[in-house]
Amino acid sequence: MIEPDQEARIAFFFCQRLDPGQDKNRRSLEMEFGPSVVFYPMPCGGRVETIHLLRALEGGADRVVVITCPRGQCRYGEGNLRAQKRLKYAKNLVHEIGLEPERLEFRAVPLVSASRIDEIIRPILLEPWNLGPSPLRRVPRKR
Amino acid sequence: MITAVRKPFCEIREMVAPYESLLVVGCATCVAECASGGEKEVAILSSQLRMDATLRGKKLEVGETTLDRQCVYEFIDRLSPLVGKYEAILSLACGAGVQAFSEIFPEAIVLPGLDTTFLGQTREAGLWLENCRGCGSCKLQWFASICPIARCAKRLLNGPCGGSKGGQCEVDPQVPCAWNMIVERLRKFGKLELLEDIYPPCDWSLAQGRGPRKIQREDQAIETI
Amino acid sequence: MRPFSHLQRVLESGAFAVTSECGPPKGADPLSLVKKASLLKGYVDAINVTDNQTAVVRLCSLASCAILRRMGLDAVVQITTRDRNRVALQSDLLGASALGIRNVLCLSGDHVCFGNEPGAMAVFDLDSIQLLDVARKMRDQGILCSGDSLTSPPKFFIGAVENPFADPMDFRVRRLEKKVKAGAQFIQTQCVYNVHRFREWMGRVRDRGLDDRVHILAGVTPLKSGKMAIYMRDKVAGMDVPEEVVRRMSSLPVKDQRAEGIKIAVETIEALREIPGVRGVHLMAIEWEEVVPEVVTRAGLLPRPSPQEELEEELEKCLPNTA
Repeated sequence: MIEPDQEARIAFFFCQRLDPGQDKNRRSLEMEFGPSVVFYPMPCGGRVETIHLLRALEGGADRVVVITCPRGQCRYGEGNLRAQKRLKYAKNLVHEIGLEPERLEFRAVPLVSASRIDEIIRPILLEPWNLGPSPLRRVPRKR
Repeated sequence: MITAVRKPFCEIREMVAPYESLLVVGCATCVAECASGGEKEVAILSSQLRMDATLRGKKLEVGETTLDRQCVYEFIDRLSPLVGKYEAILSLACGAGVQAFSEIFPEAIVLPGLDTTFLGQTREAGLWLENCRGCGSCKLQWFASICPIARCAKRLLNGPCGGSKGGQCEVDPQVPCAWNMIVERLRKFGKLELLEDIYPPCDWSLAQGRGPRKIQREDQAIETI
Repeated sequence: MRPFSHLQRVLESGAFAVTSECGPPKGADPLSLVKKASLLKGYVDAINVTDNQTAVVRLCSLASCAILRRMGLDAVVQITTRDRNRVALQSDLLGASALGIRNVLCLSGDHVCFGNEPGAMAVFDLDSIQLLDVARKMRDQGILCSGDSLTSPPKFFIGAVENPFADPMDFRVRRLEKKVKAGAQFIQTQCVYNVHRFREWMGRVRDRGLDDRVHILAGVTPLKSGKMAIYMRDKVAGMDVPEEVVRRMSSLPVKDQRAEGIKIAVETIEALREIPGVRGVHLMAIEWEEVVPEVVTRAGLLPRPSPQEELEEELEKCLPNTA
């Protein structure tokens, strides 16, 4: 669980089609969790590339989550499947350099799911997550 | 295209260990097609190298660039302003590109990031298959466009051997028996009689040359005045 | 033309020939080879020595055959194209003839990946059919593959292998014809368990008139156990082991399986003898050479024709004087 005053940083790549009002709806999360949570809306989960995930980690993310439309529901066919494959590949690449592959997560929302992005993401932010800050971060944790 | 695969990361890490600045140079032709050395792969490997260096407490600056083709002097030349700024170059081209690059910049340390594998085709997304061995004397017209030199494990020109089973090669059951395919295709075209005569021994001198082979074309050469 | 070897003489006389094979050791001491060959003497007309079979490095067939010659046996040197280019192949053919080894079996060979030197370069400069052609031209025209002349032509009886059970089935007879055209005078087939299917294949062979042009020796391998039958059926490429055979072997207690294997081998030979066009049998008793005398005896194949003196004297002269 990430408290607002901790420095753990999370990057969310998500498909805009999950919530056409995402631009407005994610504001509440941004205000509550501050700059430690970053959002990358994508026109489709399939637009997420392996390099995006690596760069997110390189840029200091402790955790990177890719959220797509439900399986079988991708507007463009297999965008969500591609995202899943690329994330799996990224896990291997991350493992090669000695970083925990678990820092990358793929979630396709269930068929019956919340329709607002903040309602989809809030539970993820509140669930227990215990990998701690990424070893890449040199900045010491604030007390 | 010429296919290649990225070297294991630990091998690359060891190769670049002595250097604090590195220019990763990709190639947008063959190796981009087989997803091992194109612009995307340059970005990915560079990101990995930087993160890896951070994790190990090492100083490493990584530059990224990609050439249209790394085997042609005209394209390589364009990097003149950049090359001297880095301690070493990590080339993500095939062996031809790595060497061509090194010739244009003989003072630079040029390291190979890929293991060059074979000449082949993209059968479908994510699947590349060898189909040519550059024998220097194409015989595809005799074998219904299926090359026995590249695709038969024993290079038989009068195949099949006794190990062909269920249309698969005895050496690798995942691989179709090239001769089975040749016979079927010739049968389809009503040309099985092409196989009646003994196909004579290959002239391998065209394939192996006297050392590295060369093609020279006067009509293509540029005379400098 | 006078026969070059005892095997050729036997086949051309119309007698039913018997050949067998010995596997050479994985070392420099030929004793085991000599022992195996001694067991076979008098029961077979000629003995093959395999050539780095399954790409496992062994005492080479050529040297092994020379040793067999010293024992007064007619040897068949097996030559694969996997390990040697045409320079070496032609050189070895000359060597075989010079040593009095007068039967040559031309094969492509198993791929290096199966052997104990998987990193070796697989040569395959020629394939088996091209090798047959080369051997024939060396013998009959005294020329090399390139057309260059030899000072003296080699003499040998040329053979090849064929697998009636491999794919593509219907193409196999055409391939046999190609081998005959290239120079094959005798054929040793892959071992037969499915006599019915082999009979069909022989029918097609006869339809093309090949039985008049080449001597076919059907392969027979006695099964040692039910496990072996299952292994042959499932793991060996190009092998057809009918369920009936597997059942016969596997349904017996282990101690009785060998005897059944021998029985099946004898029955198979008897059935094969009945097929027109089958001129002999090639017994491949892998690591079980001692069973050959029993099989040959029970199949009624004794006595074997004795070697012709004139031929033997000529071949004697080829051997270097031994201590």
